[in-house]
Amino acid sequence: MHRPPYLLWAAALFAYAFLYLPLIIVIVYSFNDSKLNAEWVGFTLDWYRKLADNNEMLQAAGNSLLIAFVASVVSTVLGTMAGIAMYRYKTRLLPVLVLTPIAIPEILMGVSLLIFFVLLNFTLGLLSVALAHIAFCIGFVAIVVRARLTGMDESLVEAARDCGATPWQAFRLVTLPLIMPGVIAGALMAFTLSIDDFVITFFTAGAGTVTLPLQIYSMIKIAVTPEVNAVSTLLMLLTLLLIVIASKVSPSLLRAS
Amino acid sequence: MNKLIPALAAMLLALPAAAAKDQLHLYNWNNYIAPETVKRFEEACKCEVVQTYYSDNEELLAKLAAGAKGYDVLVPTGNAVQALIRGNQLKPIDIAKVPNAKNVDPAVMNTKFDPGNKFSIPYAMSTTIIGYNEEKMKELGLPTDTWAVIFDPKYLAKVKGRVTVLDSPNELFAAALKYLGYSANDTDEKHWKEAADVIKKAKPYWAAFNASSYIKELTVGNIWLVHGYSNDIFQANLDAQAAGRKFKIVQGMPKEGAVLAVDSMVIHKDAPRPDLALQFMNFMLDGRNSAELTNLIGSGNPNTSAAQYIKPELKALPAVFPPKDLQAKLEQLTDLTAAQRRQRSRMWTEIKAGK
Repeated sequence: MHRPPYLLWAAALFAYAFLYLPLIIVIVYSFNDSKLNAEWVGFTLDWYRKLADNNEMLQAAGNSLLIAFVASVVSTVLGTMAGIAMYRYKTRLLPVLVLTPIAIPEILMGVSLLIFFVLLNFTLGLLSVALAHIAFCIGFVAIVVRARLTGMDESLVEAARDCGATPWQAFRLVTLPLIMPGVIAGALMAFTLSIDDFVITFFTAGAGTVTLPLQIYSMIKIAVTPEVNAVSTLLMLLTLLLIVIASKVSPSLLRAS
Repeated sequence: MNKLIPALAAMLLALPAAAAKDQLHLYNWNNYIAPETVKRFEEACKCEVVQTYYSDNEELLAKLAAGAKGYDVLVPTGNAVQALIRGNQLKPIDIAKVPNAKNVDPAVMNTKFDPGNKFSIPYAMSTTIIGYNEEKMKELGLPTDTWAVIFDPKYLAKVKGRVTVLDSPNELFAAALKYLGYSANDTDEKHWKEAADVIKKAKPYWAAFNASSYIKELTVGNIWLVHGYSNDIFQANLDAQAAGRKFKIVQGMPKEGAVLAVDSMVIHKDAPRPDLALQFMNFMLDGRNSAELTNLIGSGNPNTSAAQYIKPELKALPAVFPPKDLQAKLEQLTDLTAAQRRQRSRMWTEIKAGK
């Protein structure tokens, strides 16, 4: 019975390789001294230098970060409220309304948002993209927060109320700290969903509004240079940094509870 | 947090507004205008060129059909121009403000879908031709000026597994129809069946239907012969030379003729700055500016005054300036009717699924 679980190890190894090998290859090839990037030629930092000079790419990256930041902050606030509301008032309609945007195919959401903005005569630009991203991120945050609430001991809040806390105090001092890992996880999820979204962004972006995914996608037609690898590597580092920060802020986030 | 949100909202709103300078919004293919051309135009018009990119005509059509606006000049391909005209998406061009339009080769003007060029003026073009690895083709003694090398098993047997064709029913059917001696726009069902048979017989020899990575495969040397776009084949050679490869990638113009795709400049009906749009069109039709694009990506050039500015090694390429006798055999694809499209996609599925 004590045979080491070789099969399990093999399966795990395979799964991790499948997840991480492509990312590692992208990173390694960002240092490749060949424009074609089909095989390894030699080590260079040129692509990072080129990237630093490429205004279009930097502006696209800046736009993406700004949109992702705004979208994650706003959708985290709204999504947390929605999650709490779904947990507390067990109405039938609310979850349907909040979660539908997750289930709707992206292309449908993109087109309908575009038609909606056009109907309102709303100028397409960074703001329209940010609004669209907030709209589809709220649902994801709400789900994560609600899941966290389900695992929370309701009697803690009741105890706080018994001890004289106002509803707001009970929320701020008891509920919020308890669901914080969920809130942060939701915010991170919103951030990543926003920064790599293509379809919805494509439809809601206006003339001159370029985000990183839009920029990269239009470049692929010509052939991907290691510059794309370089920008992807930086993006990965940023994501990694966010996860590290989140785990410092809320150590329980990365631990199985 | 309370202060942060309004501050960010202000930033989001302010960004588009901050550009008080005159702007021309160009909705273009990526890498489809030389940076130095943009710079000179910005100096000439004292304005800023803001480019947004699409990678597919369908993308452009979908977005505009849903009502997106804010773009001045678009550069769609022939049949997309047709769709835009049909959808009343374009503003007529005041030709008096575009005197350089006289530079455009009459052979590509006056198309069936835009007689008199009321809405569109050709910008650049490409042909769908043969691309090949010069050394390998010589070694194997294969012809490079006929579609037969892509479709005839007699030749294909020598390059089995080293050939790719475009993953596009319209392009591949057009090539097969041309090979059979019909028009690329032939709609006779019997001829389509013949074309499908030609494709089915050749398919076992092809490595793949590939419309995206064949440039790289050619450059690396995995693939020796392709059915592809002239600009891509030109790019493949540039890359191969830059990477120090010992072989050349060469464009082969089939003597039976080929598909021609002309990208035209058009003005969107809701263009915020139609005046700048006209100025831009006129500027791009100047021989020197038009030549810069060809020098950059090896695109076909419909501008008769551009030749003197084009690098000599490019001028000789049949895809840049198609020779007169060949010009008559180059055809622009026209849109199929819904029924024809269904029929073609049925045949395509059959081809792809068959063994």
